[in-house]
Amino acid sequence: MAALASTHPNLLQFTPKLTPSTRKLTPSTRKLKHKRIAMKLSVQAISASPQTSFTDQYVLQLADSLEDSLPTSSFALQNLRNNSSETILSTQWPSRKDESFRFTDTSFIKNSDIKPISHPPKSLTFSDISRDTQLKSFYFADGFLLDFSFDSSNLPDGVYLGSLSKLPSDGILERVSGLLGDLEWSDLFWSINGLGAPDLMVVYVPEGCKVEHPIYLKYIAVEGGDEGSKTMPLSNPRVFVLVEKGGEVGIVEEFAGNEESEYYWNNSVLEVVVGEGGKVRHSYVQNQSLNAAHIKWTSVRQESTSTYELVEVSTGGKLSRHNVHIQQLGSDTVTELTTFHLCVGDQTQDLHSRIVLDHPRGYCQQLHKCIVAHSSGQAVFDGNVKVNRYAQQTDAGQLTRSLLLEPRATVNVKPNLQIIADDVKCSHGAAISDLEESQLFYFQARGIDLETARKALVFSFGAEVIDKLPHTSLQKQVKNNVKELLGSTTKDS
Amino acid sequence: MALVWQIQCTASPPLPSLPFFKRKSSSSPSLPLPLTRSFRLRFTHVPSPRPVAASISSVESPTSVDGLGNNKTPLLEVKGLTAVIAETKQEILKGVDLVVNHGEIHAIMGKNGSGKSTFSKVLVGHPDYEVTGGSVVFKGENLLDMEPEERSLAGLFMSFQSPVEIPGVNNIDFLHMAYNARRKKLGQPELGPLEFYAYIYPKLDLVNMKTDFLNRNVNEGFSGGERKRNEILQLAVLGADFAILDEIDSGLDVDALRDVAKAVNGLLTLKNSVLMITHYRRLLEFIKPTFIHIMEDGRIIKTGDSSLAQILEEKGYNAIPSA
Repeated sequence: MAALASTHPNLLQFTPKLTPSTRKLTPSTRKLKHKRIAMKLSVQAISASPQTSFTDQYVLQLADSLEDSLPTSSFALQNLRNNSSETILSTQWPSRKDESFRFTDTSFIKNSDIKPISHPPKSLTFSDISRDTQLKSFYFADGFLLDFSFDSSNLPDGVYLGSLSKLPSDGILERVSGLLGDLEWSDLFWSINGLGAPDLMVVYVPEGCKVEHPIYLKYIAVEGGDEGSKTMPLSNPRVFVLVEKGGEVGIVEEFAGNEESEYYWNNSVLEVVVGEGGKVRHSYVQNQSLNAAHIKWTSVRQESTSTYELVEVSTGGKLSRHNVHIQQLGSDTVTELTTFHLCVGDQTQDLHSRIVLDHPRGYCQQLHKCIVAHSSGQAVFDGNVKVNRYAQQTDAGQLTRSLLLEPRATVNVKPNLQIIADDVKCSHGAAISDLEESQLFYFQARGIDLETARKALVFSFGAEVIDKLPHTSLQKQVKNNVKELLGSTTKDS
Repeated sequence: MALVWQIQCTASPPLPSLPFFKRKSSSSPSLPLPLTRSFRLRFTHVPSPRPVAASISSVESPTSVDGLGNNKTPLLEVKGLTAVIAETKQEILKGVDLVVNHGEIHAIMGKNGSGKSTFSKVLVGHPDYEVTGGSVVFKGENLLDMEPEERSLAGLFMSFQSPVEIPGVNNIDFLHMAYNARRKKLGQPELGPLEFYAYIYPKLDLVNMKTDFLNRNVNEGFSGGERKRNEILQLAVLGADFAILDEIDSGLDVDALRDVAKAVNGLLTLKNSVLMITHYRRLLEFIKPTFIHIMEDGRIIKTGDSSLAQILEEKGYNAIPSA
């Protein structure tokens, strides 16, 4: 024991902080009493796992500050928080040596002074809150779900949209609690959100119910650090979508940046459970400010014959990372991922996706496109599809196309299919290029000069994905944004 | 105001033939003949000949025109053109000579690999090929010095054998861009989307296409026939003085071919010319050529009239003695 203590001073140094009681474990009590303190944490976990020898000081400090920032809340969330803090203890801040962060440099987050936001913003400028009556809009400001009175009269019966704490039915609460936070291969950021999420928004669609209009979630950042200070406010919005058998819903998530608040870290999580035969159409538009860090997890569980479609357009953030995990829980599922990343400045756009197929006749298609239009811009793609032993007759396809428009622009792609089943149809392809010569020539042969042709082709490269967004007003908005961003690059060059 | 004309009966040196309309606008009352040729009505692509005038720095005064009925200034004159594949330096064209006058329809036929498509691609300025010798004069200008887009704006149109797909750019946007590029070149105001749509709408009938064509991406998911008709639609919208149709008949069924031929015939006038590259006689029955050339091994070995096609059909290329 003493040996253990001496070789791992960090361990004991920090255990006191994690226990909410003022009882301090002095060095003399190094014998690691298993104190199950009925408040927040079980110290048991620490001593049991040998990996705790690598407990990261920085991570623990962060975990600590997250805990301090939150009031105690409902049981379901408490459970999540406990589990998350347990996991955090054995997780290190990712370094370039970790395979999943090999190309993604998170040091600029680590080097800032991270301050978890503990209150929703006091004053809100309602200018950026537009009321589109077609869409059911919910606003997250700094990670807190804003409490507006929603007009739920247009929603079909049984559909619930709102905070976990206000769930009317206990049955749903139980189901949600049971499924919440359950992810085998998560990372530190998943746990940080689990620990630091102030509230949970639940979208519940009962059996056989088809929600006609999409549900629009807009995340805005109000608090932000400015250029000089190294503070980086951290927000942890969390949403849980549960679609029962045969239900259908469309979710639109929009992460918007704010002109004033430049430096912030948005660490959000969306969990989706799609019941048998259910359908979820997920649109995700990210346009955070160019100095912000944006890390998002999307974890989806699909029952048999369900459909999950994701269309993503990410253009903002200094570091933007989207982690997608799709777990197939039944056969004959349909999964479609269509993503578009754009770097117009010194940015990193990262997509790490993982689709795990364990049941037969799944259909999944992934299309990833990225444009890097700046010499210090970087795009990263790691698309993993696991076709396991019992996933026979799977039809899986993956295609990634990247466009590098400036010298020294970088893209790192790692498409990977791990196939164990032996009766499958799988394909994957990756292409990194400049614009196609033959297409450019076609423009020229019709009298259009090279410059205009390049602009048109670059825009159309992204348009293929943007066109897949299911709602035309959103499509238009995104197209205009992308056009503007691309236009700004060509002006400078 | 009498305008001094220099009427040149000889073909050399080719002088810029100024477009009609320009002279018309500079008040020339003594031109009864040109006016009777109701060009304006048939010309669906009014602006296009002007670019030549804009780009000419030398002779400005009106010169030989078909005012008197015969314009002997060639539209296109190719002399001793040799070209190689840029990458491998393999010689494809070994000295091509061709003269195309206004209002003529030429056809080039030949064995596979004789250099027909290469010839058309070199004329259009394809980057895969490099010109190693010879000259090409188009409307009095050295074509080989011009960039591909300049050549197109000068009035040269090529319909590709296998048009490339451009996913993400839809037909109407593409045509709009190309049309506005032309108008800009002529110093005319560009058309807005609605006006352009009004302009393009009647042209769809010409190629027997429905309006939903315009919303589809350029050549994406198009069948062979649809691609060829799309090329002809572009010709109709943009207009050209000299249209090169590279195997416009390949992959077309009988009806589609008839439609395409009808469209091309509808666009022909006494001013503009067409060069067709084809293998089969059938197209030539619809679009009657003035001259047929046989190309072999990078050279034009025989020139004749439409009867040549009959001989080819019956006896094959070996029946043509190479000069």
